[in-house]
Amino acid sequence: MTVGIAPEAAAPAGMTGGRAPEGDMSVGARFAMQGVGKRFGSFDALADVSIAFHGGEVHCLLGENGAGKSTLCNMIFGVHRPSAGSMQLEGAAYAPDGPRDALEQGIAMVHQHFSLVNELTVVDNLLLGRTLGRVDRTAYAARMAELSELYGLALEPYRTVGDLSIGERQRVEIVKCLMLEPTLLILDEPTAVLLPDEIKALMETCSRVAAQGTAVVLVTHKLAEIKQVAHRVSVLRAGRIVTTSDNAADDIDRLVGAMIGRDALAEGEAIPGLSAAPRQSAKSRAAAQATGDLALMVDGVSFADATGAKRLDNVTLTVRPGEIVGIAGVEGNGQSELGAILAGLARPSAGRWFAGNSELTQASPKQITAAGVGIVPEDRHLVAAADDMTLAETILNNRMRLHARFGLIDRRSVTREAEGLIDRFDIRTAGSDVRFGSLSGGNQQKAVLARELTMPGLRFLLAAQPTRGLDVGAVAAVYGLIRDACTQGAGVLLISSELDEILAVADRVLVIYRGGIVNERPADPAHKEAIGAMMAGQKP
Amino acid sequence: MTEELFAVFIASTIRLATPLLLAAIGELLSEKAGVLNMSIEGMMLTGAFAAATGAALSGSPMIGLVCGMVAVIPLSLLQAFLTNTLRANQIVTGLGINILVLGGTTLGYRELFGARSREVIPGFDKWDPPLLGDIPVVGETIFEQVWLVYLTLPVALLAWYVLTRTGLGVAIKAAGAAPRTVQNSGLSVTLIRYGVTLVTGLLAALGGIFLSIGDIHTFTEGMTNGAGYLAIAAVIFGNWRLGQTIIACLVFGAATALQFQLPALGINAPNALLIMMPYLLAFIAVSGLVGRQSAPKTLAQPYWPR
Repeated sequence: MTVGIAPEAAAPAGMTGGRAPEGDMSVGARFAMQGVGKRFGSFDALADVSIAFHGGEVHCLLGENGAGKSTLCNMIFGVHRPSAGSMQLEGAAYAPDGPRDALEQGIAMVHQHFSLVNELTVVDNLLLGRTLGRVDRTAYAARMAELSELYGLALEPYRTVGDLSIGERQRVEIVKCLMLEPTLLILDEPTAVLLPDEIKALMETCSRVAAQGTAVVLVTHKLAEIKQVAHRVSVLRAGRIVTTSDNAADDIDRLVGAMIGRDALAEGEAIPGLSAAPRQSAKSRAAAQATGDLALMVDGVSFADATGAKRLDNVTLTVRPGEIVGIAGVEGNGQSELGAILAGLARPSAGRWFAGNSELTQASPKQITAAGVGIVPEDRHLVAAADDMTLAETILNNRMRLHARFGLIDRRSVTREAEGLIDRFDIRTAGSDVRFGSLSGGNQQKAVLARELTMPGLRFLLAAQPTRGLDVGAVAAVYGLIRDACTQGAGVLLISSELDEILAVADRVLVIYRGGIVNERPADPAHKEAIGAMMAGQKP
Repeated sequence: MTEELFAVFIASTIRLATPLLLAAIGELLSEKAGVLNMSIEGMMLTGAFAAATGAALSGSPMIGLVCGMVAVIPLSLLQAFLTNTLRANQIVTGLGINILVLGGTTLGYRELFGARSREVIPGFDKWDPPLLGDIPVVGETIFEQVWLVYLTLPVALLAWYVLTRTGLGVAIKAAGAAPRTVQNSGLSVTLIRYGVTLVTGLLAALGGIFLSIGDIHTFTEGMTNGAGYLAIAAVIFGNWRLGQTIIACLVFGAATALQFQLPALGINAPNALLIMMPYLLAFIAVSGLVGRQSAPKTLAQPYWPR
């Protein structure tokens, strides 16, 4: 089988009916929608969207979080019904009354959050929903092997999904869709948690699937991917298609501008909106060396989980004041455990750690906070905040007693300080008394940062996956805030699975693999390949 | 004579475990799909009462059985409606239904049977299976049982087959572990959960029917006396696995049988201690002292379809 990554090779003319003329792009399309809108209450998630997907093409949907990408996909997949407009599949009217209906009509979707049952085997996941009667697992395993071969998706059929790596799980998800022989395959942000190599393999798979004549819709906000595979790119902003391009590689700046609603971007920015400002002020460096104190010192820390498996193995690292140290690694290599230890949620089984000159190895979260350690945990909803508390309570809950008199909270004083911080950190909200959970991801993260960065005596900040699930604009804001903390002399440990971000923000990069720090590199894009290889387990 | 006593012990273990087995297999199916069916106690009692009433009025235990099965359907649907459609707390609604049924059956019993409370209700006769029944000593004592006892075997096999060999079984397990995924695959979680609640009701009713017109041929107020809760405990004790749940039911049955056997053996254990036994074992199970618990992930959580 000949497989081409290049658009020309993957799109046989007969299959797509050729590029449709401008203004009537739905001619010969596999799928098309005209003037589609979706309204939730009084909120227009989508408005007047017209788009067409062609067989044999990879069509990228680009947009910030909340731009309506997921709503659009869910509508095609039959989860939501459009409030206005019409859809056609193969030229015939299409109005699915549920995911099942969509599946039966040949539309499959790889969901943003894996839609797998971790407790079941790979094969059982594949056959879920296919039949209610007797199942022939051998036949499914054989069919799976066939697809694996064809699309380069290696998998073992009888392993439990919960034991698989993230990349493998995604392959299960994709094979699950491909088994249905879809004519339209939607992938909703499939690359968020993958290794650089896995992303490459996934893009290859997308191209192969398209080459078989399937229409592929790839939802993403990563630009590199678009350049690689897209035959066509449409940009969604605030529920509308703002621009479309047939030549993504040349149009990338314009597309990004359209996505974040900005006309132009500074040249050479690794992350749009994040200026390549000097990484560290000489002043803070000098101040640090003068005092000689480290912001953080982790000395030979190991950690074993409840089952006895070693998750961290003799980790030693230091963070100087005014410095940002990035920890690069694929999720599940011990970063979460390191974060938990520094937050006081877990105790190391060996080793010690210090912030400034206080040892905090056995300290409680309260003592850790008192020692000037700020924590931005990786799980916003589980650890950083309670969704049902108000924004003001969330921002101030590490210093509520400053607003209390004889044990009673002075609401007015809380509101006053909270509103000050809401302004300063540019949290977009209707007020300080809205539910934290009702804010968008970016605003939630800004609220958490507002709390942690303004705590008295901050000397060290742990930022674990601080931009997960945030859109491009919010990412820039979050890193701007983290940098500000640095300039004021705090040391920052940045744990992220986004290598590009680490390279753009950090001063130096530590690579973590299977619980150990395997190497250190300067945060220079020139080292990107080497770091990526080490993240995947290659010896330095 | 010890062999004979032992045979009697085995026989009463099986007999006492039968209602637990039927109910626990149903409860296991429910819990696999994420439904904690607390009302199983009330379902058993409903089956017992409706069967006794049907049998007494018609004179036929078979009609009684049908009455018991039919009577539990609205109750199962009520439980399913409250927890799946209205998404009420499963434990609270379950307990509410149990109290409702206890009151309802007690009232009904006093109204219907009041004066004739000592009367024997027509029930199922014991049955000698061919061949097995001819084995000396053991044959008569162990194998001569009401046919409902033998019904547990195909029920258990069917449950095993459904859970491990069919797409329905995969869907049931997935509904308890990852209901969103089930919806994404095009199946209805609500429908699956209604279904298992209904099946659990029918199986629990069978257990109750066995108690009243199978075992003792009469009805007494609140006669299930916690058997439903024991069935739930058996599922936990069995760590949500079919084989282990069946073993748990047999252990509970044996613990109850010992109450009657130990005095006969001349062992003087306080009766209260023996009555406590199954509950104590259940308590140990629930407190996680018998290994890692692997409850279905969304057990007792209502599901909100998108």
